[in-house]
This record gives sequence, C-alpha cells and structure tokens, in this order.
Amino acid sequence: MKFVVSSMELLSHLQAVSRVISNKNTLPILDNFLFSLEDGVLEITASDLESTLITTLDLENTDGSGEIAIPARILTDTLKEFSELPLTFEIDTNSMMVVIQSESGKFTIMGQNGSEFPQVPQIKDDQRQELEIDGEVLLSGIAKTIFATADDELRPVMNGVFIELSSDDTTFVASDAHKLVRYKRTDVTSESEAAFILPKKPASLLKNILPKEENMVKLEFDDRNAAFTLTHYKMVCRLVEGNYPSYNSVIPTDNPFKMTIDRVEFYNALRRVSVFSNQASNLVKLALTGNQLTVSAQDIDFSISGTERLNCQYEGDDMEIGFKSTFLIEILANLTTSDVVVEMSDPTRAGILLPATSEDENEDILMLLMPMMINA
Amino acid sequence: MERSIVHMDLDTFFVSVERLQNSKLTGRPVIIGGASDRGVVASCSYEARRFGVHSAMPMKMARALCSEAVIVRGDMDSYSRYSKLVTEIIAEKAPVYEKASIDEHYLDISGMDRFFGCMQWTGELRERIIRETGLPISFGLSVNKTVSKIATGEAKPNGGIEVPHPTVPGFLSPLSIRKIPMIGNKTYHLLRSMGISSIGTLRMIPAEMMEGLLGKNGTVIWKKANGIDPTPVMQYSERKSIGAERTFDRDTMDVNGLKDLLVSMVEKLTFQLRKEEKLTSCITVKIRYSNFDTHTLQQRIGYTSFDHVLIPAAKELFDRIYQRRMLIRLIGVRFSGLIRGVQQLNLFEDTSEMVRLYLTMDTLRKRFGSGAVRRASGIQLRELEEKASHEDKESEEDAAARRQQVDNLKNRRWGYWR
Repeated sequence: MKFVVSSMELLSHLQAVSRVISNKNTLPILDNFLFSLEDGVLEITASDLESTLITTLDLENTDGSGEIAIPARILTDTLKEFSELPLTFEIDTNSMMVVIQSESGKFTIMGQNGSEFPQVPQIKDDQRQELEIDGEVLLSGIAKTIFATADDELRPVMNGVFIELSSDDTTFVASDAHKLVRYKRTDVTSESEAAFILPKKPASLLKNILPKEENMVKLEFDDRNAAFTLTHYKMVCRLVEGNYPSYNSVIPTDNPFKMTIDRVEFYNALRRVSVFSNQASNLVKLALTGNQLTVSAQDIDFSISGTERLNCQYEGDDMEIGFKSTFLIEILANLTTSDVVVEMSDPTRAGILLPATSEDENEDILMLLMPMMINA
Repeated sequence: MERSIVHMDLDTFFVSVERLQNSKLTGRPVIIGGASDRGVVASCSYEARRFGVHSAMPMKMARALCSEAVIVRGDMDSYSRYSKLVTEIIAEKAPVYEKASIDEHYLDISGMDRFFGCMQWTGELRERIIRETGLPISFGLSVNKTVSKIATGEAKPNGGIEVPHPTVPGFLSPLSIRKIPMIGNKTYHLLRSMGISSIGTLRMIPAEMMEGLLGKNGTVIWKKANGIDPTPVMQYSERKSIGAERTFDRDTMDVNGLKDLLVSMVEKLTFQLRKEEKLTSCITVKIRYSNFDTHTLQQRIGYTSFDHVLIPAAKELFDRIYQRRMLIRLIGVRFSGLIRGVQQLNLFEDTSEMVRLYLTMDTLRKRFGSGAVRRASGIQLRELEEKASHEDKESEEDAAARRQQVDNLKNRRWGYWR
C-alpha cells in the first residue's frame, strides 16, 4: 500500500494517540502504531491493552489497502524533525518494509505484521447503552474532577472518575477519601439509569483530545468497556470493575456555619502561609472569629511560622479547623468563581466548598475536604 | 580545626538521686530495679559493684551476689526532674550541647581555650553542677565524642580528666578494647579470640581486615580505636521510633491475655503519638520465646496515629509471628517511620463521633494521666494482675511498666536511632 500525507498533520495525530503507549509494556507489539488504510482513510491505533486510542485521517492520494504495525518511537522522533512537507509512505506488506520518502530523503523502517496487534474490545450489543454528550460538558466534567482521584492500589474503584447517568442529570464524582468533587450537569440526561467508573488514564487522555472537539461525543458502554467516539478520534477503554462507595451519604447536609470569601485572595494567602507549614503534614489552621479568617501554619522542627488575616463574611460560631494546605489549594484552583462559600459544622466534619455564584445554571459543583485532626 | 568535646556523665545517677532523697542509703550497697526476680538491674552503687553486681544483670542474680543490698524500685519522675536540672545548668553555660541519655551530655566547647582554658571551664561547670544539684558527675575532655566518653569512664568516680590531642594514642593504647562504646559482648569475644585485647593492638590491625571481619562496623571500630570520630555534637535529634515491651513475671501462652496486653501497649503509644503530634508509618511486633529466641515482624502502613488502625495491625502481626506453641517471655511493639503531623481524616472511614471520642479521651488523659481512660481489655488485665500479686500495694502492672520505663530510658541511647 502507498499513501501521501502531510508531515505536520500526521505528527499531531500520532502525538495525540501516542500518549496511550505505556513505558512498561508487557507485549512488545504495543510499542507500535497500527496503521491501516482502506478507501482513502488512514486509521492509526495505539493501545496499552486497557485503553485504545484510534484516530483517522482522510487522505487524497492513496493506493491499495492493508495494515501494518510501525515502531512508535522511531516514527514520531523522525517526524518531529520535519517541517511541513508531504511524505510518501510506501509499505510492502509482505516484507514489512516501510519506506518514507520526502522531497530529498528516504527513510526505511521495519514494521511488524498488523494482525499481531491486539483487537479493540467491542461493546457487547445486549448490554450496550448509548448516549450523546456535548464535548465541552464531558471535558469540564473530567477536568473538574480528575485532580481528586486517588492513587490507591488497594482500592482501584477510587482511581477513576465515577460517571452516573440518570433521567434528570449526569454526575461526575472523584474522591481519594480525603477530598471529593461532585460535578452535576442537568443538561445531559440519559433515558435509563446507568453508571460506570472511568479510570484515570483514559480520563486524562480524553481531557487532552476533547478541547479540539466541536461536535457531540458519542458514548457507548457495557459492563466492561466504554467507547467515546469523536469526529477524528475514538477511545475504547476498560472500565474499573466494582462498586463506587456511596458518596452521597458522606456529604454532610447540615452545615450551619458559612464563610464567603474572595477565592483568589484566599488561594494566595494559603500559598504563602503553607510555605511555613510542616512539609510532611502541610497542616494549615483556619480560625474564624467574627468576619475575620486567620490562616496560620507552623513547622516546629525549623521554628518557622506564618499567619495571615483575611476579611470574609462569616455566619456561625467561632471555630478553628485544620486542613491539608495542598488539598485546599488544589480545590480552590479548580473553582473558577470570584467568591467561594465554605460550609462547615465542626472541626471533625468535612468542609464543603461551593462557588458563591453560579456561572452556568446547568452546572452544580460541590467540593468537599476532610479536615485534619487538631487538638482544640 | 581541632575540637574540644566534653562528655559529662552523672555517676550512678539513679542511686545518687535516691541518696539525695534518703541519706540512709549513703555508703551502703544500693540496687535500683524491679522487685521481682525477672527484672533487671537499672543501676547500682559502687558499693554493690564490689560484689560483682552490674547493670542489666537479672535481679535474682544481683540479690544472690549481694544479699545485704538495699533494693529500691526507682522513681522515674524524680530522675527525669534531676536530669532536667543538670541539663538546664549545662544549657545555660555551654554553647552547644547534646543530651545523649538521661545521665549523659556531650558539650562542644571548641575555641573556649582562648578565653578560659577548656579544662578550667569544664572543671568549674562540674563543680557548679555538684554544688547546685548535689549529684556527683564525671567528665572527659578530648578531641571527639568517642575519646571523651572513654576518658569519662577512666575519670570515674567523681572526677575529670583531659586527654589533649597529642596524647590520645598514648591514652587509648593500654586500655581494654571493651572501653570502645561500640564493642559489645559478641565483638569483644571475637576480637579476644584473635588475641586482641588492648586498643593498641586493635590499632595495628589493618582497616581492611577489620572491614572484612565485621563489615562496615569494623571500619568504624577501627577508626574509634585510632581516636577518629567526626560525629558532631547535635543539640537536638529527632526521635525516629517509639515502643514498649514487657517481660512477664511468668512465661505465658495465654494468647488472649497477650493480645490484651498488646492492645493496652498500642493504646498508650498511640496516645503518645497524638500528644506529640506525630504519625507512624511502620509497626513492629516483637516476641521472645522462653528459650530466648526473639522474633520480630513489621508492616508498613499509611501514616496514622489512630488506635482503630494500629490495634488490628498489631494483633494481626502477633498472629503471624506467634507460630510455635512455646511459652512467651517477652512481648513488645514499636512504631517507627515517625513524622510530625496530625491525622488527615478519611471521608469514608472516620466518623465525626469517633474523632470526637479520640479528642475527648486524649483530653482526659492529658489531665488525669495516660491511664485515665483505657480499653476494657486492659482493665481486665490489670485486675487479674492485681489478684496475682495482692501482697504488693502497687499493682504488678504499674511496677512492670515502671521497670520497663527504667529499661527504656537506660536503653534510649541504643533504642532511639538518630
């Protein structure tokens, strides 16, 4: 088979799908891209067995059809060094020889038999659920929650984003048992109730390819796999098996104390004060009296301490609560409104952070952070 | 630059404190240690040493050797108080000091010779400590910690000597290799069997051969024998682990009782962790069978200071380590991998009620002592032991705990790595 392709266009597609290739593959074939050409459409596949990314390019100048696995590293490394110019790929599927010709050069690579590449898992027809979702909504659902996912080998269900579909709304949830994010969209609904856990890696792959997407994304899934079909990309991934913990029951509902504060000011103060916190625990204490918030941290080992006072609107009893500064900073960085509301009840219960104003009426975002145990 | 390091050691510290409180003890052989046969000697007076008694010897043997000795149970609180007094005096005068154990201090007074002369300054400090606390203290002044410590040993009782730099080899050479702090029983016997008895001989052994013989430690020992020890005097060193262990009066294989004891030990230690705002990441359980076979097993865990995480972990380790149907002589638990910090609460596991229970119990313990509230399993244990030793006013457990405390404190310099 033979085709002509623009070097830059090919590179951008290859770089997008190459993110899926793992550094520690068990199967050597997975270090390759699978190229298959049919009816003028070039399909490139990369996989790590758990997730598979497929991209398509419509080409004008093609000849023949077939498939071949081409080493990923050598191909991307070569293409990076080209400026925009047409490249001719000539592939002999019998000898597995790949010849790339540019205006002034010729490069040969040995490919491998494309049939050795693992099959893309199919969504089972009898359990298939289908849904069309706006690319932008899917992107913000993943982008807002992915930071809260865990890296816990003992509890794999926590290592992904839990996506729950119902006839009223769609909810994205992520938690590492210390912090939790719940992102709800009322403008995306499904006919039947369904839920699945999207692992962290495919979620971050999606986060990378979604910004370019303008159309609706087709989502299909069964009990084992999910497939996301975009205009030029398709991602198929294995889902995390198991039940997601019942997150709704741990979100405290009765939070009488409310603090409204400028998000950026709060964020910056925390960044400064946390420098003085103990580097192992990152404990910062928030003390609330009247309409004043005092953020303080200390590291006894080095005899350093930092305190900053901030104005806020506070309704509630005076209280002191401790948080891990890195978590609190992360949460504030993932909110976008100018003011945030922090709802609390006592120093042993979770604090809830909400945007003070809603930017989109279809959006409902809740971030929760468990405190650290400080002696009152 | 040549350094001037002082090592100060309180002579028979525990005995000296007891004598301050009870002058009748002066001039008589005194042994500090638990009353039961299984306890060990924590400290003994020079009068008792004449009979062959030495510290870490079983009480039973000590009593047999010296029947007229006065046996004192020991009061850790007053020892700590006096130790603090001494430390305060040293802290006031010395530029850099390190408290190596309850009765030992290292001082770095390099450069002091330009003003007073190190020997005069140290002598005056020693006199001041004796005057203000009434405790006899000895010191060694030399170029590094090892030589100073060995010198203190030579200065005792109640004296002080200086070993200036040029005389270090001459001072060390005739001494027994036992005097080097790192050489314990095993190493001593090994070296003795090779015909090495004095430090002078040890110095003539090639360093490479020592390494081949004893590994890395061999090199360190060889360096020490040559009066080389670059370790600095450190004002403060973070503790890396805490632990408790307990030797039984009678060997036991009552698994439930052992677990109850383990629980109460863990409970006490976790309270200590929380009080000091520390978290542990590694738990070790240790058992010693009646034939002195000692086994330890450890497990890494996520940073925590919670009873409900550590108690099941300790029990599980005990189940895994107690393999032989043999009586147990000693049981212990240790937390290591300590970091400073407080517990990050878990959304799914830590309920507010439970956290408040911990906080309330800790408040009670801070106010009324660490035994103010405890798990019921520990109380049962205490009652049983009270029954067992009714003639003793103080419950056996307290006595054992105190005995353990004495051992722990004495062992601090080995037990706590820096």
